[in-house]
Amino acid sequence: MARTSERFPGVEWIGDTGIFIKIDEKRCTGCGNCLKVCLGGCFEIEKKLARIRSLDECMECASCWYVCGEEAIDFAWPPGGTGYRSDLG
Amino acid sequence: MPGRPVAPGTEAIWDKIMQQEYDVVVIGAGFGGPVAAKKCAGAGLKTLLLERSENPGEKVVSGLTIPIYGFLFGPPFIRDGNPPIERPVDGIRNYVIYDVKDGDIETVELRIPRPLSPIFAFGYNAYCKPFCTWEAEQAVKAGAELRTCTTVTDFIKEDGFIKGVLTDSGEILRSKIVINSEGSQGILAVKAGVRGKYPPQAISLADTYDYDCPKEVIDRVFGHTLRFCWGFDELKIAPPLGHGNGLMSWPYRNSIHWMQDQCLAMGDGQVPNLKRLFDEYHENITTQLPWWRDEIAPSAKIRARMWEGFEIFVGLDDRLRNMPNYTDGMILVGDAAGLESTGLCDGVPTAWFSADIAADVAIEAIRAMDFSAKFLERYNRRIKAHTIIQWAIANKGRWNLRKAQESHDRKELRARINHQFGPGILTHAGTPLVKSLLDAIRKDPLVIMKWARMFPRYYYNWEHEYSSEDGLPVGKQKKRSSTIGWVLFDSLVILFSPINWVIAFLLEPLAGAINPLIKVFRPVVELGLGVSIRMEPLFSPVTRWMIDSVKQANPSTFSVSK
Ligand SMILES: Cc1cc2nc3c(=O)[nH]c(=O)nc-3n(C[C@H](O)[C@H](O)[C@H](O)COP(=O)(O)OP(=O)(O)OC[C@H]3O[C@@H](n4cnc5c(N)ncnc54)[C@H](O)[C@@H]3O)c2cc1C
Ligand code: SF4
Ligand code: SF4
Repeated sequence: MARTSERFPGVEWIGDTGIFIKIDEKRCTGCGNCLKVCLGGCFEIEKKLARIRSLDECMECASCWYVCGEEAIDFAWPPGGTGYRSDLG
Repeated sequence: MPGRPVAPGTEAIWDKIMQQEYDVVVIGAGFGGPVAAKKCAGAGLKTLLLERSENPGEKVVSGLTIPIYGFLFGPPFIRDGNPPIERPVDGIRNYVIYDVKDGDIETVELRIPRPLSPIFAFGYNAYCKPFCTWEAEQAVKAGAELRTCTTVTDFIKEDGFIKGVLTDSGEILRSKIVINSEGSQGILAVKAGVRGKYPPQAISLADTYDYDCPKEVIDRVFGHTLRFCWGFDELKIAPPLGHGNGLMSWPYRNSIHWMQDQCLAMGDGQVPNLKRLFDEYHENITTQLPWWRDEIAPSAKIRARMWEGFEIFVGLDDRLRNMPNYTDGMILVGDAAGLESTGLCDGVPTAWFSADIAADVAIEAIRAMDFSAKFLERYNRRIKAHTIIQWAIANKGRWNLRKAQESHDRKELRARINHQFGPGILTHAGTPLVKSLLDAIRKDPLVIMKWARMFPRYYYNWEHEYSSEDGLPVGKQKKRSSTIGWVLFDSLVILFSPINWVIAFLLEPLAGAINPLIKVFRPVVELGLGVSIRMEPLFSPVTRWMIDSVKQANPSTFSVSK
């Protein structure tokens, strides 16, 4: 089943991706860099640490992974055939 | 003991799964992967192309203008084929915005003049999904096996050699060699320790929009010319904070592609709030830039928004540029190898060139049954010797442009734009292009016949809303064009091919003089370009005639026999 989003037209998310981006709480300093670059608003800060709010609008760009200087973000692609897709990229 | 996956906890899966053996496994059916897979399969190798999305290219986000050198000097099946394109491009018009409210805006233009353009194009615009899908189909036709919906999660390693891949469904796919075209993040390459992760200062996040817009409006406003916008930071127009490109807009067939981008971190490591900035800049430019506001906005409607990072400055950093692009049993190509251009921000041609070279090396390695890094080192040598790749990935033009945006010097900003995206580009692109041209002619003087057919075929396909058929484009054929012209042209090319070969052979070592020469004669070159563009109206009957001849021709006259 494909999901769409009003905020981001022209894009679909397929199937169940699971939580493919994980945050290592021991490493996270709560700097907020991941929040600043994630245009999908996938992160939030809770008790001074980042956590995944929802990956429903994740475009799999890996910007969060690039900007985390603490290597607290464990980034992997979602299972084959799931997640973000578009005809208009 | 056969190879075991490096991932811990996979032992149980390992025991369960039947292993499959290939000569070559190619990771990623984006722009580069299918090129490597096609060549390997064509050489008779058992080749598997793996892609994590359901359809090739639907997870790739791009501009996208593929510059002409990719088609001229890249894989023959693309040059001689019928890939789906959105519009031929004749050049770039830059808007240098000093004050958007007062309309203090200058233009700098680099364009192939009519009547040569739009048939002789500067590049072709395309959407990723149809283009990559077409490429992958060609690989399958050549005998490669394509498996989509398959994410590679790890490599199989044996005695330090990569011997295949592990997929998310737990399958083990063994191969003699892996060609890794997984794209810029290089998650697998980084995980395997082949190369490091690129720092956020070298990566730009591109926020892209796609607008529905009637073809007549695009034809009238853009024609075939890309429009880029540049301005000082405080205007909050383009680009955010001066650490990215300006606004770039691409005319497609019935749509406009639009991109603003910004480095993920400043030089000092500070990470900007892109989420806020991009919205602000998008709002500003679409409501304040006169031509967008008055001519495009009334008829354009947003139909997509997505984003992706790209390797804006990777090639400019010695350490990053020299990261390994091969290891025992594996070669990295395209973005995975850091080959995106730091000049024009294009990465498709370098992905094609490197995939082609990687396939050659894989074929040689299989013949020699040697997959050691020592043997595969020749891949790196060929990449380093590739004139266009090296020009593309070590080009400082855009970096200097960023400095000019910070400097607040009008003259400097204009000059830098001219140097990188205007006529000034000829002072640094001249040598690599001419050298590649002569090199191609020296290797095969008859390539001229293929180039000559490529331009009208692509134009024809565009005019007739390309729809894929095996070999032949489909279109409304109005009149039978005479083949006499082509017979004559081909005869001349064949007749002169020994002479052309000698000329190319003799001139190639002198190609290094092209850049300095253009530099010296730059005022003349710029004047010539300017005058020819002014004189275009005089040539409009010729332009019309050329377009009509191509449009109404029998498409078989442009096809290249395989
Ligand atoms: C916004 C933007 C604008 C651009 N504009 C231009 C332009 O105008 N002109 C130009 O020439 N270039 C442009 N580029 C660059 C161009 O898109 C890339 O250089 C090009 O796509 C690189 O090709 P590639 O084959 O190396 O990687 P990609 O095309 O990215 O392909 C990688 C493929 O691998 C797949 N994959 C990744 N990991 C796995 C895995 N683990 N298992 C299975 N499959 C996997 C991906 O799904 C993808 O299909 C632009 C890039 C961006 C982001
Ligand atoms: S960037 Fe890394 S350290 Fe900073 S908040 Fe996000 S996860 Fe934590
Ligand atoms: S990959 Fe991109 S969209 Fe997804 S969570 Fe990270 S920054 Fe956000």
